[in-house]
Amino acid sequence: MRFVSMAFKNLRRRPVRSVLTIAGVALAVAVAVSLAGFNMGYRNAIERSIDRLGFQVMIMAKGCPYEAATMMLKGGTGLLYLPADTLNKVRSDPDIGSITPIFIGLAEKEASSISDSSGGAFAIFAGIEVQSYMEMKPWLEFETGRGFDGGRWFGAESEDEVVMGYESATYEQRKVGDKFIATISPQGQSKPVQKTFKIAGILKRTGTQDDGTVFLPLKTAQKLFNRPDELTILGIKMKQFSGAKLQEFESRWVSLPAVQVVSLQQVKSTLVMLVGTAQTMIAAVTIIAVIVALIGVINAILMSVYERTGEIGVMKAIGAFRGDIFQLIWLETLVICIIGAVAGTILAIAGSHLVESAIKKLINLGVQGSIVLINWQIVAGVLLGAIIVGFFAGLYPAWRAASMHPIDAIREGMD
Amino acid sequence: MENRKTIIEGRGLERYYHRGNETVKAVDGINIDIRTGEMVSVLGPSGSGKTTLVHLLSCLDVPTGGTLSVEGTAVTGLSEDELAGVRRKTMGFVFQKFYLLPTLTVAENVELPLLFLREKPDRALTLDTLRKVGLEDRANHLPNELSGGQMQRAAIARALIIKPRLLIADEPTGNLDSANSKSIFDLFRNLVRDQGISILITTHNLALGYLADRIITLQDGKVLKEERQPIK
Ligand SMILES: Nc1ncnc2c1ncn2[C@@H]1O[C@H](COP(=O)(O)OP(=O)(O)OP(=O)(O)O)[C@@H](O)[C@H]1O
Ligand SMILES: [Mg+2]
Repeated sequence: MRFVSMAFKNLRRRPVRSVLTIAGVALAVAVAVSLAGFNMGYRNAIERSIDRLGFQVMIMAKGCPYEAATMMLKGGTGLLYLPADTLNKVRSDPDIGSITPIFIGLAEKEASSISDSSGGAFAIFAGIEVQSYMEMKPWLEFETGRGFDGGRWFGAESEDEVVMGYESATYEQRKVGDKFIATISPQGQSKPVQKTFKIAGILKRTGTQDDGTVFLPLKTAQKLFNRPDELTILGIKMKQFSGAKLQEFESRWVSLPAVQVVSLQQVKSTLVMLVGTAQTMIAAVTIIAVIVALIGVINAILMSVYERTGEIGVMKAIGAFRGDIFQLIWLETLVICIIGAVAGTILAIAGSHLVESAIKKLINLGVQGSIVLINWQIVAGVLLGAIIVGFFAGLYPAWRAASMHPIDAIREGMD
Repeated sequence: MENRKTIIEGRGLERYYHRGNETVKAVDGINIDIRTGEMVSVLGPSGSGKTTLVHLLSCLDVPTGGTLSVEGTAVTGLSEDELAGVRRKTMGFVFQKFYLLPTLTVAENVELPLLFLREKPDRALTLDTLRKVGLEDRANHLPNELSGGQMQRAAIARALIIKPRLLIADEPTGNLDSANSKSIFDLFRNLVRDQGISILITTHNLALGYLADRIITLQDGKVLKEERQPIK
C-alpha cells in the first residue's frame, strides 16, 4: 500500500462528493479542450480555404479588402467591379506566373424541388476562362457515378451551359444533363431575365467556396449581367511568392485607378486576428470554468480534511511526519484533477461533433470542413494544465492538514 | 523490579493552560517513571489531568515546565517532526475512538504505521500481530464490518505492528461495554507478560485500573497516591 492508493481509496469514502468534484473538473477541462480544438481547427480551416483559392494575390476593385476576402470565402453581396482592360495591363507583369479573370454575379434560383422559401435562394455565378482557371486549381475534377457521369467543361462560347459545384448541385438535387433555371437582373435593366441552362458537369467536392458556385463561360456571364467590360477579380499566382516580391508587385500596380492588390497572406493574418478577438472571449470562458472547478476542488478537499481531523491527528501520533500528511492530501487533490481531466478530455472528444455543429449554427464562420480539431498536443497541454492546477489547488488544504497539531486534532475528534 | 530499564522519566512535569488571566494547571508538578515490562494505570476523576499527562509522556504535547526524557534522551526543545521520530520508534498508541481508516481493510490499517516508517509491510507479521489480538480471521474485513471491541483490537494491533517498547492507551475502553473492556485489559496483561512491553493506560474504571502493576491516582493535576500491585 502506498500513498497513491490511499488517495484513490479515499475517493470512495464520499462517492457523491468525489463524483461532483471530478465532474466540475471534467467540465472545465472539456470546455478547455473543445475551445482549444475550435481555435486550432478554425485556424486550419481558414488556411485551407485560402490555400484552396489557388491564387496568392487578387486584384479587385477598391473597397475593404477584408470584406472582399470574406466575400471570397463565403460568397457575398455588394460586389464591386473593375474594368476588363486591367487584365491586359497587368498580364505583362514579369512576376506573374499565371493569371485568371473571374466575373462574379448573383442570380435568383428558381424554387428548387425541395420546397425552400426565399432564404438561400441565390446562386453565385462565376464566369471563368476554363483554361487559366484550371491552371490555378489543377485539383478540380468532375464527380463520377450515377447521375454524375459524363461531366465536362462548357465551350468558351457556350451560352446555355453551366458547371456546378458539388454542393450547389446536390442541394438542388441536380444531375448532369438536367436543366437549371435562374433569374438574372442585368445591369441597367429594370426587368429581370429568366434563363434556362443545361448542366454540363458537376465538380467533386473541394471543401472550398467552389462547391457552392455555378460556373459558366466568362463572356456569357458578362453578357448576361450586362457588364461586358467588367471583371470582379483577377486571380494571380506569382512566379515566386515572397513578401518582397509582393511589395514590388503591389507598388507597380497601385497606381491603377480604382484597383487594389490584395495578398491572401495578409487576408489570412487579418482573419486570424479577427478570430483572435473571439479567442479572448473563449479564453475568458475557459478561465472562469477553471476557476469554478478550482474552487470546487479546494472546497471539497478542505471539507474532507476537516472531517478527518481526528484521523489526521492519529496518523501523526503513530508517526506520520508533516510531509507525509501533506503528501497524502496533496495526492488526493491531484488524483481528483487527473481523473477529472481524463474524463473531460474524453467528453470533449466524444462531443466534438456536437460542439462543431453548435458553433456553426451560432455563427457563420465562412469556412467549410471540420472546424474543431483536437490533436494530441491539445490533449497533452490540457492534461498538463490540469496537473499544474491540481498541484496548486492541493497546496493550501495539504498545508492545513499538515499543520494540524496532533493533540488538538485528537481532542477535536472526540465526541 | 527496581533495576528494570526506564523508558520514560518525567521530573516536575507541568502543563499550564492560560485562559484570559486564569491559569488551568492541568498537570502540576508530577514525577513519573515508566519501566520496561510493567503495566501502569492512571486513574482519577474527570478533569484531573490524565489525558494531559499521557500526552506529555507520549511527546504529543510539550510541557510548560519540568523535564522529560525518553530512553535516556532529553526530548525538551525538539521540533514536531523530531518528536514524531521519537514516538514512532518507541511508542504505540490506542485512543478511546479507534480512528481506523474506513476505506482500508483491517490488515491495511494495521500496516499504516509502516507506511510512515517507509518499511515494507510483511503480511505474515501483520497476521501474526492480528493473532495476538484475536483478529486473524478479520484481516480482509473493512472496519465497519467489525464490532466496537474488534475495532479496538484492530487499533491495538496497529499500535503493536512497530514493536513498540511502550503502549500508551488513553481510555481504551471508554466506548466499550464491560465484557469487552475486561477482555481488552486481559489482552494488555497478556501482552505485558508475553511480549515484555510496557503499557500506560488511563481509565475511569477502578476495577480494571487495579489490574495494573502500578496504579497512579491523580487529582487536580497532582499525584494523589501511587499504589503497587502485590506480585502475583
Ligand atoms: N486545550 C486546553 N485548553 C485549556 N484547558 C485545557 C485544555 N485541555 C485540557 N484542559 C484542561 O485541563 C484539565 C485536565 O484535562 P484532561 O483532559 O487532562 O482531564 P482528564 O483527566 O483526561 O479528564 P477525562 O477523565 O474527562 O478524560 C481540565 O480542567 C481541562 O479543562
Ligand atoms: Mg481524558
